Amino acid sequence: MDALVVADLVKDYPTRKGPVRALAEVSFRVGEGEIVGLLGANGAGKTTVIKILCGLLRPTGGRAEAFGVPTSRPEVARYVSALLEGSRNVYWRLSVEENLRFFAGLQGVPPREARRRTAELVARFGLEEKRRTTANLLSQGMKQKLALACALVKGTPVLLLDEPTLGLDVETSHELRGMIRELATGEGKTVLLSSHDMGVVEDTCRRVVILARGRVVADDLVPNLLALFRTRAYRVSLGDGLPAEARARLAAQLPALRTLDGERALEVELPPEKDVYALMDALREAGVAVDGVSRVEPDLEDVFLRIVRGER
Amino acid sequence: MRYLWTFRAIVVRFLIELKRYPLNTLSSLATLYIVFLILFTGARYAQGLGVNLFGEGLEGLVVGYLVWTFAIIAYSDLSWELMREAQQGTLEQLYMSPQGFRFVSASWIVASFLVSLVWIAALLGLMMLTTGRVLRFPVGTVLPLLLLTVAPVYGIGFAMAGLALVYKRIQAFFQILQFVFVALVALPADAPWGKALPLALGTRLLGRAMADGETLATLPPLDLLALAGTAAFYLLVGVAVFRVFEGIAKDRGLLAHY
Repeated sequence: MDALVVADLVKDYPTRKGPVRALAEVSFRVGEGEIVGLLGANGAGKTTVIKILCGLLRPTGGRAEAFGVPTSRPEVARYVSALLEGSRNVYWRLSVEENLRFFAGLQGVPPREARRRTAELVARFGLEEKRRTTANLLSQGMKQKLALACALVKGTPVLLLDEPTLGLDVETSHELRGMIRELATGEGKTVLLSSHDMGVVEDTCRRVVILARGRVVADDLVPNLLALFRTRAYRVSLGDGLPAEARARLAAQLPALRTLDGERALEVELPPEKDVYALMDALREAGVAVDGVSRVEPDLEDVFLRIVRGER
Repeated sequence: MRYLWTFRAIVVRFLIELKRYPLNTLSSLATLYIVFLILFTGARYAQGLGVNLFGEGLEGLVVGYLVWTFAIIAYSDLSWELMREAQQGTLEQLYMSPQGFRFVSASWIVASFLVSLVWIAALLGLMMLTTGRVLRFPVGTVLPLLLLTVAPVYGIGFAMAGLALVYKRIQAFFQILQFVFVALVALPADAPWGKALPLALGTRLLGRAMADGETLATLPPLDLLALAGTAAFYLLVGVAVFRVFEGIAKDRGLLAHY
């Protein structure tokens, strides 16, 4: 069953100069237990989609549902919880435990079960020593963990995460990525994650939906999107640089060649009739000392930029 | 049962926040008492000059001040709290309760009303000690009267909170309303238009219950009916205004922006 359904979603924001279209017939589905990345530049419509799915924003047209429940109804909160805008979702004057118990209670969880879930999440997120500390005294990373724990304590099957790693250091970001992956693999949660951090998305999501100017411009598995832009490009590290004569000889055989790192490396895109052996032969004939050769693979950031620019 | 657990969570949070800042809580009570002392001193001085500033005497001053205090606490607990929630980003989370935001805010009002009763009892004790006048507190009469008297203030609080969701910075307007409440408490409630205004009639009826020992059975039924009608009218209009502005905020995505 689909956990989330977004069909022909339209959102116009009223302004003095007339309505501004933020979403134009956006459609996608998220299956149960999937982690899907929602990508887009600033103003592409990611947060608008997430807020409509939370029931916090009224769509102008179209349909948004969680487990068949329209997101305009309060009951949708039985299925969906969210971490919105980083760590702004917690009460700064309440301690870690008090926040967790409050949000469990807000969901309608009985006190005993709320205490059990609180203890479990405090342990899982490594917040034991800070469990009685008020949220305003926590570090940014801990606030972020607490905000995620507050979304989890509700026990909903769907989790919407808007910029969950915003402002985090590399170590905490990696730790949080592991936790997000565990949500799907260990607990079967459905996660829709919006982030500008491509590393987080590539590391956690199996599938991505890319938005540009309020429209879905790509919706596919990450490996398929990477394959779209895979080329026959190779990067060659040079032991002694690239003398002018060698460069001229290589350029005659391999027109799509460019030097990198102050001529300590070069990147070559092989034409269809040549293979990597032909490249090695050309390098040997030019008298170039080779340190290493590797295939140039596009990462999600390249793919995202090229799709948004309309290259595919 | 879900509703009960949500209600419990909201009351517990209310109490935790109250307990976490005891100095703030005590200073609020002290400020209210000091303001009363200034009013009381002024009233006694005026009485010494042969001027009766309060038609119903000191009992009128005590009851009027009590109602005004209750109104201010009720109003600020609701409207300031909603603004604070929007400011810190937690209002959206309250909207994401399966029990609905209306239940959440109603629970908040009940918590605020119950805690305000403790405040009012403490302030009443201090005021009686200061004035030397003993006022009655028949719970069965005073509680329903108090609830009906402040219900319009909750309505106004809802309407203001709705305005704040959309227009954001309206604190100056909030503060002006506190002075409007003084006028409403002091207004005569004999004329029909006086009975139709918030606070005026309720203050008079509470005065009769607390100073003269009248009960719900002895108070004029038409006045009680007018009080209930006014309470329902202002509360419903306030909630309706809030819903209109809530809809605008949901259309424009303003629930979290401040």
